[in-house]
Amino acid sequence: MSAVAVAVEGLAAAYDGAPVLTDVSFRAAPGQSVCVLGPNGGGKTTLFRVLLGELDPAAGTIEVDGRPAYVAQTERTRLDFPVTALDVAVMGTLTLGRWWLPPSRSDRRAAHAALDRVGLAGQAGVRFGELSGGQRQRALLARALVQDAQVLLLDEPLSGVDPASAALIAGVFQELRAAGRTLLVASHDVESARSFDLVLCLNRHQVAFGPPADTLTRATLEATYGHELIVLEDSAATRAVTIQHHEHGH
Amino acid sequence: MPSPTDVAELPFLREALLELVLLGITGGVLGAWIVLRRLAFFSHAAGSATFPGLVAADASGVSPTLAGLAVALGYAGGVQRTGRAGREHGEATALLLVAALAAGVILASDVFESGAAVDRLLFGTLLGLGTTDLVVAAAVAAMAGAAAIALGRAWSAVGFDPDGARALGLPAGRADVLLLGLVAVAAVAAIPAVGALLVTAVYVLPAAAARIVTGSIRGLVACALALALAEGVAGLYLAYWLDIPPGPPVAVLGALVCLFTTALSNRPAR
Repeated sequence: MSAVAVAVEGLAAAYDGAPVLTDVSFRAAPGQSVCVLGPNGGGKTTLFRVLLGELDPAAGTIEVDGRPAYVAQTERTRLDFPVTALDVAVMGTLTLGRWWLPPSRSDRRAAHAALDRVGLAGQAGVRFGELSGGQRQRALLARALVQDAQVLLLDEPLSGVDPASAALIAGVFQELRAAGRTLLVASHDVESARSFDLVLCLNRHQVAFGPPADTLTRATLEATYGHELIVLEDSAATRAVTIQHHEHGH
Repeated sequence: MPSPTDVAELPFLREALLELVLLGITGGVLGAWIVLRRLAFFSHAAGSATFPGLVAADASGVSPTLAGLAVALGYAGGVQRTGRAGREHGEATALLLVAALAAGVILASDVFESGAAVDRLLFGTLLGLGTTDLVVAAAVAAMAGAAAIALGRAWSAVGFDPDGARALGLPAGRADVLLLGLVAVAAVAAIPAVGALLVTAVYVLPAAAARIVTGSIRGLVACALALALAEGVAGLYLAYWLDIPPGPPVAVLGALVCLFTTALSNRPAR
């Protein structure tokens, strides 16, 4: 196991020459979880695209331990596509590079085991479009688990998820961290970011990176979210929430 | 009313039957992916866009198959490039289709004065299907089967979740280019029998009907294959009986089956 799972130094990214993300530098070790906070268009998905190798950096360097597994937002999937939860999980075996061959028995076994881990063993034969929102998110997580990647990138995995599914997903995250896997989770939820090891705040550039206690300050969050941030203050504590949108682009 | 056995006994009908069976195989296997990947309009356009090339080839003695292939593949490449340039595939498809049809009409009416040959190019023929047409249809059926086996998992992953598929390390772009190219080649193979305007009769309508009544990709392919073969054979018999090109009856049968399955699926449960 290497000492650093993800290392990014001076990263800049651009679409058609127009910069969308600059000055990003952070490192994450095996077993660490990083919450990537930022507004719509702040560069969270762009960062993931660079880490996945889909977008070349305009500047800087990146190092990732192996090919990361990616869990996209469920809204990006086609609900009318005739695939079951098992079919979706089996898709994770495509990373093995044998995409021209039918799935083997061991591929199916791995997919069943992953569905079992996310609590969908009983729904393996159910069509993806007929699953609830939380179950769909868990099926996509199962696909990522099948990849057995060292680094997992998750785009808003708890957005619109029912409490039972959220608890199951959080449990899987704990297991993955205990197994030395590194998680980068894009999120709008400032309060849930407090449970991560590290927080990376992006707003077209890196605003802050570090432990939640150091990064989730009012000044940092205002610099990250601007007018999308609402700070709730009462006698017991200060809480910050953001106006939530789903990010579908950069 | 002629005997149905004529279809298998008369030599010219036997060739047409074989042609429609081969196209039916492609229609079942490739049609399923055309419908799943929302390429119905593209498949129609790829066939229709060959019109100017076919008119020019017909008038100048060039092989219509080669001319059609060149235009259809050029058309698929154009749609792919325009789509990459930021336009939706549907928009690019419509743009290039209109240009191709307009060029075909000008060539047919003002340049080559093609006359009756235009009907044959647009709606197909029972007569004049030759060995070359059968060989092309067989080769396309074999290519469609091989591609569906080798690329089916990739097409499925990309169709279900394009972002996720790219992240899996799949050659998503190349798989899509191959699918577009294969649809374009298949469209050319269908033109002699059903004509440039009715390619969707064999490649889209059976799969569209099957899509309504099936819940898995395997079931869709099997049902689309059965419907494409049945509609092809029945359409050929009707064409022989009514003395018309086979394209229109195959298309009408396909549309009726589609309407029937749609009505069946919309019927309220008791």
